[in-house]
Amino acid sequence: MSNSILEGVDAEGDSTADSTADSTADSTVKGTAKNAESPATTVMSMQQALNRALDEVLAENPKAVIFGEDCGRLGGVFRITDGLQAKHGTQRVFDTPLAESGILGMSVGLAMAGFHPIPEVQFDGFAYPAINQIVCQIARMNYRSRGTMPMPITLRVPSFGGIRAPEHHGESLEALFAHVPGLKVVSPSNPHEAYHLLKYAATRPDPVIFMEPKSRYWQKGEVDPGNADPSGGAPEGAKVMREGRHLTLVAWGAMVARCLQVAELAAEDGIEIEVLDLRWLKPIDTAALAASVRKTRRAVVVHEAPLTSGLGAEVAQLITQSCFDTLKAPVERVTGFDVPYPSGDLEDEYIPNIDRILFGIQRVLEYKRG
Amino acid sequence: MDTLPLAVTGDDAGPLTPAQLRELYSLMVAVRHLDTSAIAWQRQGIIPGYAPELGQEAAQVGSGYAVDTTRDFVFPTYREMGVARTMGVDMVGYMSTHKATWHGGLYDPVESRLAPIQAVVAGSVLHAVGWAHGQTLEQKDGVALTYFGDGASSQGDVHEAMNFAAVMKAPVVFFVQNNGWAISVPTDRQVAGGSVAARAAGYGMPALQIDGNDVVAVVEATRRAFGHARSGNGPVLIEAMTYRRGPHSTSDDPGRYRSLDEERDGAGADPLERLKQRLLADGAADEAFFADALAAAKAEEEQIRTGIQALGSRPGTEMFDLVFQETTPALQAQAANWREESEHV
Amino acid sequence: MAEISFPLPDLGEGLIEATVLEWLVSPGEQVERNQPLVEVETTKSAVELPSPQAGKVVRIYGGPGDKINVGEPLIEFEVPDNTAGIVGTVPKEEAPKRRVRLSAVLDED
Repeated sequence: MSNSILEGVDAEGDSTADSTADSTADSTVKGTAKNAESPATTVMSMQQALNRALDEVLAENPKAVIFGEDCGRLGGVFRITDGLQAKHGTQRVFDTPLAESGILGMSVGLAMAGFHPIPEVQFDGFAYPAINQIVCQIARMNYRSRGTMPMPITLRVPSFGGIRAPEHHGESLEALFAHVPGLKVVSPSNPHEAYHLLKYAATRPDPVIFMEPKSRYWQKGEVDPGNADPSGGAPEGAKVMREGRHLTLVAWGAMVARCLQVAELAAEDGIEIEVLDLRWLKPIDTAALAASVRKTRRAVVVHEAPLTSGLGAEVAQLITQSCFDTLKAPVERVTGFDVPYPSGDLEDEYIPNIDRILFGIQRVLEYKRG
Repeated sequence: MDTLPLAVTGDDAGPLTPAQLRELYSLMVAVRHLDTSAIAWQRQGIIPGYAPELGQEAAQVGSGYAVDTTRDFVFPTYREMGVARTMGVDMVGYMSTHKATWHGGLYDPVESRLAPIQAVVAGSVLHAVGWAHGQTLEQKDGVALTYFGDGASSQGDVHEAMNFAAVMKAPVVFFVQNNGWAISVPTDRQVAGGSVAARAAGYGMPALQIDGNDVVAVVEATRRAFGHARSGNGPVLIEAMTYRRGPHSTSDDPGRYRSLDEERDGAGADPLERLKQRLLADGAADEAFFADALAAAKAEEEQIRTGIQALGSRPGTEMFDLVFQETTPALQAQAANWREESEHV
Repeated sequence: MAEISFPLPDLGEGLIEATVLEWLVSPGEQVERNQPLVEVETTKSAVELPSPQAGKVVRIYGGPGDKINVGEPLIEFEVPDNTAGIVGTVPKEEAPKRRVRLSAVLDED
């Protein structure tokens, strides 16, 4: 059984490790691990966690290079690469001209030359001009070359909405990427996940699209650098962020925090909700989905991306496949709409809000067969 | 650089009259005042963000001034407020994009001859070629004017657009505002060879590299380019050398990548001050005129701010209604669901 | 919020101090980068110093007639800890609000 990392993370400092140690067996293990391997957790924002992960990747892998628009001197428009050029030099961290297709196409060549490129496209919507290189080249060079030219490329994409930004700065592209054979896709939901998932993604031999939930960049949380998952889950797996027995909310990226809020509210109504952070959108952890929904027998998938052909459809199918016999209701989807991501004024109308998620939950709860 | 044959005839070819110079000044003051005010609006919480164009007033007003809105069409980026104002676009509708009301702005792009505000860098350059080729197909004499920056010149679409336009002899004026910076990256780390205008030669296209801070030079160059394109001679590239005096956007901190000294040296003479000195030297305007122009600019900004503050959110139903001309059952179902569960606006 | 302090810059030509003539901004005021902050006089000339920073003025040092040495504090700004990226705004963390309540008879089969 996987355990919520948030239960430990809610606590402040080392004293809390002791207090939670009393409540569950798992946290006793965690407390031991913490003392043995990682002296302390650190409170930091997701920005800082990502920055730290990149810093360490550069230090550990001399072939890792970071580049993109404004990544160097400025340190990125969200400061994710802040200070890295000064520390690791202009050969390892550099600004490119303003051309996303160029950035990704160049990544292919660097990978062929034995580097591990960690390019950034400045915003989700800026990936569109690079789709040709991502889909036609990065995703299939390993296949085309019969495995002789792997593409260890970690493409960082500040993603999703929620910051009242201009057009093409609030898109959710996970279904687009996940649909492309040869790409892996991951999205962290909090600073701890951001640190560990980026460090993991940036050491893979295959292309990984790393979708950073930009609305969560400033959110602080505890990061335990020495302990990715106290419950010992697989690095490419999903994680239970809150346990519950009546219904599973499946989410990723920024929607995980919202689903945790919903679970808290639902508890007031006597409904115990399990929140599963999918983390990896490709490959999807089907075992974790099955395990959770076999227990709760009800599921709602939440994502910001538009409904039609969104990843929620894939998740619903995987749940149906593994849990058809025990499901009490069809899997619901609470998502963005089939509309272009709107301007800031209408953003809150578009992104699944607490009420819409509660409505989705209610539909599942009151579903009657026949 | 000037590789454009001197062959322009017609109404636009004469030198600017004192009245036109005064008009240009008034436009530039109005643009400058609205631009600096918009930064203050952001600080006051009236708008969430803004992309200033301080220093680019001459390039924008001068080029926009050459447009004939009865037959030409203009393709902006997200930093063409001065062009919009010069073309007479409804400025509350234009500035609404910065209030996050509607991405493309609320002005009527068809009526005003200004395509919707474009957030994709180099996104609309090819559109200008298509629109211009449409003029060729219908034997009309409109010219497409498309804007982009030194940063955008790195995008592959710009190459495609120039090559298409030159191959098809499309009546397009490519207007590059080289303002020295793409957020934090200076032109010398962006434009190989140092000049976007120099690239025109490769497409067999005439080009003008001009002082983009001299509004008279900008008007004259743009008129010549329009004349060339309108006469069926194909596209022209203008590179207006200017300087982004302010930040990229209201949340940019230029102190992280350039010093105040670099800014002062790079900026050169203030485009407004230059025109003012010329008007004074020509005896074409006096201090009273400049005071009146500033007063008018302030009154105009006041009116636009009032309009922006009064502007409510668009109804949420527009999210669904404006996706297609012919909607789909699925979208209608989603709209109904939204109305039921979360309609706020 | 964080505070950023700026010292009197080196005004060149080996000058080591300047006299404040007039402050053009006051505490509490929002100033923009490059906006004139203060007029100072050196033994050479009177100059206006532009702001190196956009932000809210917290503190200014020295009144008219006071001498300030190069490198000593001139002005302090308050800047938010969470500055937005190049576009948009930092989302506010708000307590969750709800209209909908859940109701269910949960059989345990």
